[in-house]
Amino acid sequence: MAEKPQIADYGGDKYKYGFVTDIKSDTAPCGLNEDIIRLISAKKNEPQWLLERRLKAYRHWLTMSEPHWAKLKYDEIDFQALRYYSAPVQKVKPKSLEEVDKNLLDTYNKLGIPLKEQEALAGVVAVDAVFDSVSVATTYRAKLAEQGIIFCSISEAVQNHPDLVQKYLGSVVPYTDNFYACLNSAVFTDGSFVYIPKGVKSPLELSTYFRINAKNTGQFERTLIVAEDDSYVSYLEGCTAPQRDENQLHAAIVEIVVMNNAEVKYSTVQNWYPGDKDGKGGVYNFVTKRAACRGNNAKISWTQVETGSAVTWKYPSCVLQGDNSVGEFYSVAITNNKQQADTGTKMIHIGKNTRSKIISKGISAGFSNQTYRGLVDVAPNADKARNYSQCDSLLIGSTCGSHTVPYIRNRNKSAVLEHEATTSKISEEQLFYCMQRGLNAEEAVGLIVNGFCKEVMQKLPMEFAIEAAKLINISLEGSVG
Amino acid sequence: MSLLQNINLWGDDIPYLSGLREKSLISFEKNGLPNPKTEAWRYSYFREEDLQNPQIDNEPVKCDGHCHNGDELPFDALQIKYCNGKLHINDWNAPKGVTIKSLIEAIYDGDIKSYLNKSFNADDFPFAALNGVYLEQGLFILIERGTVLEEPLYIKYHNHADKNRLCNIRNVIVAENRAKATIIEHFCAEERALYTQNTVNEIFVGSNAKLQHYVWQNEAKNAHHIALNSVQVKEGGNYAAFYANGVCGFSRHESYIRLLQEGAGAEVNGVYKLSEANQVCDISTNIRHLAPHTYSNQLVKGVAKTKAKGVFQGQIHIAPDAQQAEGHQLHRALLLDDNAEIDCKPELEVFADDVKCSHGASSGDLDREQIFYMQARGIGEDEARNILVDAYLNEVFALNENQDISEWIKAQF
Amino acid sequence: MSDFLLQIKNLHAGITDDKKEIIKGLSLDIKAGEVHAIMGPNGAGKSTLSYVLTGKSDYEVTAGDIIFNGKNLLELSPSERASEGLFLSMQYPVAIPGVTTNVFLKHAINAQRKYKGLPELDAAEFLKLIRGAAKEFDVSSEMLKREINVGFSGGEKKRLEILQLSLLQPSLAILDEADSGLDIDALRTVAEGVNKWHNQNNSLLIITHHLDLLNYIRPDFVHIYADGHIVKSGSMELAEDLEANGYRNYLEE
Repeated sequence: MAEKPQIADYGGDKYKYGFVTDIKSDTAPCGLNEDIIRLISAKKNEPQWLLERRLKAYRHWLTMSEPHWAKLKYDEIDFQALRYYSAPVQKVKPKSLEEVDKNLLDTYNKLGIPLKEQEALAGVVAVDAVFDSVSVATTYRAKLAEQGIIFCSISEAVQNHPDLVQKYLGSVVPYTDNFYACLNSAVFTDGSFVYIPKGVKSPLELSTYFRINAKNTGQFERTLIVAEDDSYVSYLEGCTAPQRDENQLHAAIVEIVVMNNAEVKYSTVQNWYPGDKDGKGGVYNFVTKRAACRGNNAKISWTQVETGSAVTWKYPSCVLQGDNSVGEFYSVAITNNKQQADTGTKMIHIGKNTRSKIISKGISAGFSNQTYRGLVDVAPNADKARNYSQCDSLLIGSTCGSHTVPYIRNRNKSAVLEHEATTSKISEEQLFYCMQRGLNAEEAVGLIVNGFCKEVMQKLPMEFAIEAAKLINISLEGSVG
Repeated sequence: MSLLQNINLWGDDIPYLSGLREKSLISFEKNGLPNPKTEAWRYSYFREEDLQNPQIDNEPVKCDGHCHNGDELPFDALQIKYCNGKLHINDWNAPKGVTIKSLIEAIYDGDIKSYLNKSFNADDFPFAALNGVYLEQGLFILIERGTVLEEPLYIKYHNHADKNRLCNIRNVIVAENRAKATIIEHFCAEERALYTQNTVNEIFVGSNAKLQHYVWQNEAKNAHHIALNSVQVKEGGNYAAFYANGVCGFSRHESYIRLLQEGAGAEVNGVYKLSEANQVCDISTNIRHLAPHTYSNQLVKGVAKTKAKGVFQGQIHIAPDAQQAEGHQLHRALLLDDNAEIDCKPELEVFADDVKCSHGASSGDLDREQIFYMQARGIGEDEARNILVDAYLNEVFALNENQDISEWIKAQF
Repeated sequence: MSDFLLQIKNLHAGITDDKKEIIKGLSLDIKAGEVHAIMGPNGAGKSTLSYVLTGKSDYEVTAGDIIFNGKNLLELSPSERASEGLFLSMQYPVAIPGVTTNVFLKHAINAQRKYKGLPELDAAEFLKLIRGAAKEFDVSSEMLKREINVGFSGGEKKRLEILQLSLLQPSLAILDEADSGLDIDALRTVAEGVNKWHNQNNSLLIITHHLDLLNYIRPDFVHIYADGHIVKSGSMELAEDLEANGYRNYLEE
């Protein structure tokens, strides 16, 4: 009979990245206390100031409580049951890709981002791969170094560029910022560091892949990007995690500093394991991402495609301090089964003539719940600030929920702010038209959803866009049947 | 807490009434007044000390006739008055099919029991809980099944400057099936009066009934005005509200509307013009679509002419079974002063997939091109601005079904 | 197997969730190579027939059989029916924001190839195919880049439907009021396109309420449809009589 779109059972078994890599990890015992933090710091051979910062953050964290304002429901996280350090054991620090553990490289091959192939791709992308919490290999470093670009793990940066790290780390997201950021500031193990010197346009798109592997591990990576005057960089971040029954915690911080006339594009494709169809397992993703446009005419653009994680709590933000600076946020978030996402952005207009744009597309299916939560704040001196926000939601089926919670605060009379939002569903007419031309219901939904998200997908770099389009189809599998 | 005062109120000997007061007290003691972390009050931060220790008096109404000033309405209406928070008991000469009595009388008679305190949970509304602690002053208005009330019911609240009072008033308004009525609430006071007005209206709109509700809130500059309109609408019923905010220093006008059955609908429109320094005007709505084919429309427009704060928080909630519900919401504001602030939180909460929902918000200055065009035609800049502001707000006034009432408010606005 | 491409036997159907019957005992046989026209007044439920044939879920068959290419059509989903060779040119083609015409066509072609067990076309093969066809049917490459049916004029939409007809190569095409909203030039283009596609092995079912399109695509059989079934069948002369004298004579019968 006729195919009528309806919710069908769909297991999380289709998560194609749900394998576990069998390599030995050098892990700390479960639990968190000052000794663990000292251990992490010692393992990484950190300078005293960093240890002190970690301890200060930890002591502050003890005074904080987990926030509950987001529309998210999840079992309380037992922070003492987590492991705060887990590094793959390698005999010697690798000097090149060839020296990296073969199992690790296979993992990346399975992820579809083989490091080797990156080389073959004639230097399109430079990858810094973060496995659990330690940066494994950084490719193309030499080529980038010729231009003075530093692209390395944050641990290496601490050793080799301590002045830069000390100057900028925590300058955009202070440890007091929020509960998860504070925890990260105490226990972060690795992440990426990017420094683009004055006047340099990065010839490559820089890319990091995060993957959580070990059991009961919290992944607390820390990314710091500094773009000096007149520089440009496009940074890509991809995330996956193996399929496990227990929940894995991911609490990262990304800080970006953009100086005069500089531009940073930050793209994320996040497909952490979302849990199975009953909501068992999956990654808890609590991330603080913030960019400060410190200079005039600075520009930051966040693009994200979020299809994974059991719980997402993430608000990539732009602090537009410099005059004429520009902040953009393009987001596609898809939730299916029992996934929950509370995500959005903050645009803080401080400088004059600052402009921001928010395009958010949310798709909910199955029994999932999704919230767009955004803030547009115009300070009294932000003359002629402009914001345009558009938040569209698409619901597939009647057992999911979609919420839009924009906070808009304007304290400047010359500012012009516009917010539009719609909620709709895929029309029967559209589905029928596609099906009449031979597409089955799922293909039709995938096609229509990709069309719905097009404005955002176009902002992704090419190779990311293709992967993201596929991901959208995968994550909506079983939403109609 | 100085807002809890140990005084004797009428009807303490009625177990039903004292039970309601006790229940409200438990809620109020548990939740207290809104604080900076109370999400629903995040923009209109309320400080108890600003109320300057208002008194709750249990004296009978004393009226020197002040409240009769300006009674000449340009339309026929059935008039009911509150003076310093006390109801003027009167023979209101209610038309056939309409019951008007004081809250206490209705409690004695028992006919209010299926309505009073039934439309909201006091834990969610701190001031309504406080209102319940002092449940005494108020009205019970019932428009019987199929009754069409031709003349509007005009309720006037007037406050004197003699004493700082906390006036807790509870009105229960019931429009039974297919009834039709218009209610006007007019809040006014002597210019220098200092008081806190805390009213709660519980409104029940029956099947295919229609209730229009106009509120002209023109409290004194020093006053605090806090109002909750808790509304339920049944199958095919319609509740249409219009709110105009005058010079009151701190006001919060909240609508909590539940569309309970198929085809129920609500319109909630409002205007505010902030021209007094440090004025705060908070308009909050929560419209809950709980059945299929329910609909709602909201248009709120405001102008801030000085260092003042305009707040709009609007929530549209669509329940899982409320297919083909339609909810639209728009807030627009003009900032005409460097120190003005507009805070807006238009919120959609959707659990059904076959719905049409939209919200929009914008804020900005007047269009310079338009001002210039008028100047080029010989109109002075100030006048041009006034014309544009009036035109801006007129869009909302024009939506009112009863243009006599609308014009009357506009003339004073 | 019979030599009929399509057999409709005593079909009864209506809108799902609605008790009212719209098609009341309709029978029709179409052989390969034939052109049939169904004519009937506005609002008689002609479009219902096209939706029931293509399997739109809003419609429900309460009795009767439809055999297409030897298969029971009622057991197939809309996309399976399409892949089996049933094409409906819609009166009001639907807009799908964000999906370009190119992307849509590629998905449709490959979905049907997959169904038939053929390898999917890669980007280069697809482009070659579509460029050739687009040129033939007066569809500009700019139109192919636009979002499908979004902001298209009536003529553009219909030209695109015919382009799809030629690309998908169905064995039976149903043209539902294919001439609505077209001026004479556009009508001619559409008709020419249909005639180019039509051959001995495929068939046409034209649903229309006036003669215009039939002057360009000559039907072998004309059926008058009223009150849920076919009241009279004949040749082109029947259509001409209708145009001259209206439906009244047939409705009163």
